[in-house]
Amino acid sequence: MTQPINTDHSLGSREDWVMFNQGQGFLMTLDTKTTLLGTTLLALTLAAAPVAAERILRADEVAVGEIDPAKGTDYADTVLAINLYDTLVYPKQGGSGVQPHLASEWTIDGSTYTFTLRDDVTFNSGNPLTAADVVYSFERMIALAQGNSSLFAGVVESVEATADHTVVFTLAEPFAPFLATLVRMPVVDMATVQANEVDGDWASTWMSQNSAGSGPYIITSHDPQTETVLAYETDYFLEPVEGYPETVRFRYGLEPSTVRALMSQGEHDISSQWLPPEVYAGLAEDGATLVTEAGLTGEYFKLNTQRAPLDDVHCRRALAYAFDYATMAQLTQINDDTSTGTPMSGAIPQGLPGYDASLPVFAQDMALAQEELALCAYDPAEYPLEVAFIAETPARERGALMMQAIYSTLGFDVEIVRTPWALLTEQVTAPPTAPHVVEIAIAAASPDTDSLLYTMYHSSQPPTWISSSYYANPELDALLDEGRVETDEAVRQEIYAQANAILAQEVPDIFAYELLSPFAVRDGVTYHNLADPARSYPVSGFNMRFADISLPDAN
Amino acid sequence: MSIFTRFLGRLGASLIVLIGVSMLIFFIARIIPGDPARIALGPRATEAQVEQMRETLNLNEPIIVQYSLFVGDLMRGDLGISLYSNRPVMTDLVEYLPATLELVLLAGLMMVMLGLPLGAISARHCGQWPDNLVRVISLLAVSAPAFVWAVGLVLVFAYFTPLFPITGRISDTLDVERLTGFMLIDTLAAGRFDAFASALHHLILPAFALALSGIGQAARLTRSNMIATYEQPAIEMAQAYGFSEARIARRYAFKPSLIPSLTIIGLDFAALLGNAFLVEVIFAWPGLSRYGVGVILQKDLNAIVGTVLIISATFLVTNLIVDFLVSILNPRIRYSESSR
Repeated sequence: MTQPINTDHSLGSREDWVMFNQGQGFLMTLDTKTTLLGTTLLALTLAAAPVAAERILRADEVAVGEIDPAKGTDYADTVLAINLYDTLVYPKQGGSGVQPHLASEWTIDGSTYTFTLRDDVTFNSGNPLTAADVVYSFERMIALAQGNSSLFAGVVESVEATADHTVVFTLAEPFAPFLATLVRMPVVDMATVQANEVDGDWASTWMSQNSAGSGPYIITSHDPQTETVLAYETDYFLEPVEGYPETVRFRYGLEPSTVRALMSQGEHDISSQWLPPEVYAGLAEDGATLVTEAGLTGEYFKLNTQRAPLDDVHCRRALAYAFDYATMAQLTQINDDTSTGTPMSGAIPQGLPGYDASLPVFAQDMALAQEELALCAYDPAEYPLEVAFIAETPARERGALMMQAIYSTLGFDVEIVRTPWALLTEQVTAPPTAPHVVEIAIAAASPDTDSLLYTMYHSSQPPTWISSSYYANPELDALLDEGRVETDEAVRQEIYAQANAILAQEVPDIFAYELLSPFAVRDGVTYHNLADPARSYPVSGFNMRFADISLPDAN
Repeated sequence: MSIFTRFLGRLGASLIVLIGVSMLIFFIARIIPGDPARIALGPRATEAQVEQMRETLNLNEPIIVQYSLFVGDLMRGDLGISLYSNRPVMTDLVEYLPATLELVLLAGLMMVMLGLPLGAISARHCGQWPDNLVRVISLLAVSAPAFVWAVGLVLVFAYFTPLFPITGRISDTLDVERLTGFMLIDTLAAGRFDAFASALHHLILPAFALALSGIGQAARLTRSNMIATYEQPAIEMAQAYGFSEARIARRYAFKPSLIPSLTIIGLDFAALLGNAFLVEVIFAWPGLSRYGVGVILQKDLNAIVGTVLIISATFLVTNLIVDFLVSILNPRIRYSESSR
């Protein structure tokens, strides 16, 4: 556990540092006539050398990190939540659905879910984890009304601790995705949180600076825009892998050039998934390993079905048939071995109920595109298309440029609009004036198709970037509603397969590719959950369990 | 009019400017596109949750009422909660401002310590090789923005030749108790010279990247002002007296040329607060400029107003100091203001 490693911007050897630090006269041996500048630089050089002797993992994500599990929603927040907290169930390793985690077993009786908790789990505070903590965690999440609470809003009628290790959820009405949704409900230490409440605030401020969980790591320090430092909790109820990190420095908002320089110096271990493709390629050339996470995420070109000419299904089909899926696939290629995308055969990514591996993937067919265009009620020349991409993700401009080139051959005048994220979130709330096309990646919130399709396509959903095709189809609504209440998994599979078929025909979106999020991993570090498909978890972010990552003894 | 009275007058004017800025930024922040409640809660939040958040943020109140509530809270030192960091805005400002100030102060020091001497050398050797060399260097320095230099310095001093750290304010292995937030001061106060050296080591590259353009600017200004001063009759007179070239340069040419240079450096220094953003991003520097851009992109209203107010206040204080220094250097300015 105490192998010496280089954890910092190393400019001198450890021995140099020890000599300097222990005052053995290393500097005193220098000629006293040495210039002040030279001495200062040498001192600075040596002072920055390492002293730590523990395994430290350094990874990064985009800004910012939220450590309160009741508030977080994005990737960094998910990573923090799964390492600081535990949930009743966890996405199933190497498959779809969920597996036991804090709950060792459960029964489902209509709308009543009864969970039996493990009795060997304690919080980092030393308090035992009981059913009362589960009840409190749920109530806290709903009361704060942030983060993933919307996934449960209106779903649960009551939660009750019927015994120390038995908790019963009674739903307002049958909700089949409930079990899968529980991967988004981390359990907090009631006693610790309550002890830090101020004026009934559910310890909201305190929990954004401290952790109160049972997870494998605890917070050492947290700066939401810079770095969260976590330390391994030795009493964790699951075994870590060999060479697990004792300390994790989870950094935010590093620039690609900075990441590349740090990794070249051996001062960074796992990159974020947001680097430009050329940086990943460069890192791979420098010796890093590239791995990808499927994560139930599709890359969609959302078509505004409320705005002419895309309110005509034939025009939408024309765009879908003309789309150059092969070129798009080339654009996702980082190098010969790694791609950030895999073709889709419908709206549903692999691993979710309703995905049909037997369906052919989409391919360009200009003849069919022309046929559909001929059936469209609008003249392309009179309806210029506004294609928006998020300004903060410049790599997406390539997709927009490709569309511009292809659709101009159909007679459309395509205007590419580079739109800042804040502006886009505003634009999409007004369907009549929202862009015709928006390229965006959307991930399932849980290992259940409902968490993806319902928010994207059910007509009851408010206009947001996820639902920005504004598709309204009573037949699809009925299927999605049916999928929510049907508990037979085989039947649900069929329901979502039907929904998938409708979406492929109606084309509310162009299903460009399934996103594979890339990560560059420093040589010697093993990211087991992504290196081996049998060990991967199907939901985005859930693979980065730090205790499942092996570091070399000395790095 | 005494210096103290003049100072009070300037201070009063600065406060009025600050109030104006607070009103302006308060209203402008609300015009930026995007619903802050929806952005904060994400696309899966229900309409009821978004509405609840809007109520919490007082966004449903008339804008005048919102401003009066803001001023009331400000009087109590409360700038609200940041939706970006989920912490009190005041906590964020107190944490991030010293990091940026430390960076900017060292950059400003570099501008003065390197820019002015380079300009003086260039002017003294006008038309000779030192002059040509300084002119080329200063032209290069001013012709590229700070972030370009930052990337270049990272490439040279971290990627190809790993001499300097490129992230953070201090070595990961060192831990120093926070007193002021200024790492150099805190490490010295703790008597930790190893930590001080590490903090300085971390500071050099980002500060130099930030200062380079200003160094070039200061050198060019000083050079042109000194050359102009050399053409003054006073210099001819000094030469006629047989004073040494070094004495003439130092005493009779350099000092008058400092006044316009100092004014520009003062303005540049204040502008560094804004320009520091990309340098802070590239060097993962936990400063206020990076925070400011982050909160704008998230439309975090409380944090936007808080950040702009702090930067404006720093700008005003810097200008006050520069005005004060200039009036000391140039008695004519002092006297002309007194006679009004």
